[in-house]
Amino acid sequence: MADQGEYPGRLIAIDGTRGKDVIAAADALVASLKERQLECAISRFDASGLFGELSATGRGVHELSARTLALVYAADLAFRLRWEIRPVLEAGGLVIAAPHIDSVIAIGSAHGLDEEWIRRLLRFAPKPHFRATAEEKKPGKGWKAAVDRGYGECSAAMLASMTGKASRRARKEAIAMLRRPRGPKVYRLADDDVAHLAKAVIGSLLAARSRSASTPRSGRR
Amino acid sequence: MPRRASRELDQLIAQRERSRGLLIAFEGPDGSGKTTQRKLLKRWLESQDHNVVSTRWASSSLVKPLLKVRKKIRTLSTEEYSLLHAVDFRHRLESTILPALWAGKTVLADRYLFTALARDAARGLDLDWLLNAYAPLLWPDLVLYFSMSPERSRRRVASTRSPHFYEAGQDVTGIDDPLASYSQFIDRVVKEYNNLSVVFQFVTVDAGEAVYRQHTQVREFVERATKRPWPTFSEDAVKEWLIKANIRDA
Repeated sequence: MADQGEYPGRLIAIDGTRGKDVIAAADALVASLKERQLECAISRFDASGLFGELSATGRGVHELSARTLALVYAADLAFRLRWEIRPVLEAGGLVIAAPHIDSVIAIGSAHGLDEEWIRRLLRFAPKPHFRATAEEKKPGKGWKAAVDRGYGECSAAMLASMTGKASRRARKEAIAMLRRPRGPKVYRLADDDVAHLAKAVIGSLLAARSRSASTPRSGRR
Repeated sequence: MPRRASRELDQLIAQRERSRGLLIAFEGPDGSGKTTQRKLLKRWLESQDHNVVSTRWASSSLVKPLLKVRKKIRTLSTEEYSLLHAVDFRHRLESTILPALWAGKTVLADRYLFTALARDAARGLDLDWLLNAYAPLLWPDLVLYFSMSPERSRRRVASTRSPHFYEAGQDVTGIDDPLASYSQFIDRVVKEYNNLSVVFQFVTVDAGEAVYRQHTQVREFVERATKRPWPTFSEDAVKEWLIKANIRDA
């Protein structure tokens, strides 16, 4: 069930509490890689159309629980992995998952879900080679609860009894959670880390390619 | 959750335990007569002045249209298929099953989460992952398992219809003929059901018996059924719903 695949490509996860920031950061990274002659695909939130279709059904859609939403997100991610992410990784390319799993962990935990439950639910997703966050420093202006913007905005639009105050508190908690130290280096794309990340991605991709070129095909060689 | 709030919810659940409704799940392979027995039981319970609510598999108003389209065009991977059924189940649990039980109604579930566990495990998904996707579990008070051999299930299904793509397990067997695929797939599903029946203490009804005999047996099981106490078995699931539904008194 857990994805232990060793892919020749590179997966970059960009997470954040606001979809607008996540996509802007992904676009900035793609532009930076393009300057260095590298193509990079982006896998965006709701590529499967599940959230959009759910909101179109109307009835009861604003009364969902955080758990139901996390399950829908997992289904959307499974779709994106199958059609957008794994094919690129298998072909040795670069792909950005914007968002990947840290967003749903931060937002889900802020709405009372057990972090471990979310991690186990999403364990079919491959581990990213690079992790980055597109941070909101604090819940600021430009926020709008809407289904088509990102998981954060979508949660605010669909969760039951999500009053303005509760929504703001949950966002604060999610932001704090994303800032928490999370293992190996996490690039913060609000600063000038985009260029650093682009360089690291290129270095890693070149290393992987040279390694696969020099690997003997059989034990005898 | 703050300790005080948690304690208040514990009290609420304990107070409700006596007056809450009974949850009865109907499980078994396709063609085993679950729906017929569920309808007969519903009629009988209503004649005994019980307030009864039925819920069917993959029937949530929210998810059903999404599932239907994707099943029709056969685009679902094993994980997506499983997760969308988990969404459907969770939504029905929160919007239909728990509110009805809390209001003292008897809930008859025509297939419960064990259907997903059996089918998805037969598709090769890890049982541990599946249980996590359906957690926290709301245990039924009684699981009626309509036991039937794979061969008999195949014959019954074949006599009425051609199983559809996912029902026949064609997504995993890769066999073009729906019935041939179903034969192979139902074999695995029944094996999974048999394992689950031990773990989750199903009550077995022989689906090969005459309908009226099965119904008599079902009535006896229901009359003898005792509640699986929520505080022991289903505390987390009920607490989560109470918070979401903002229920503060019993």
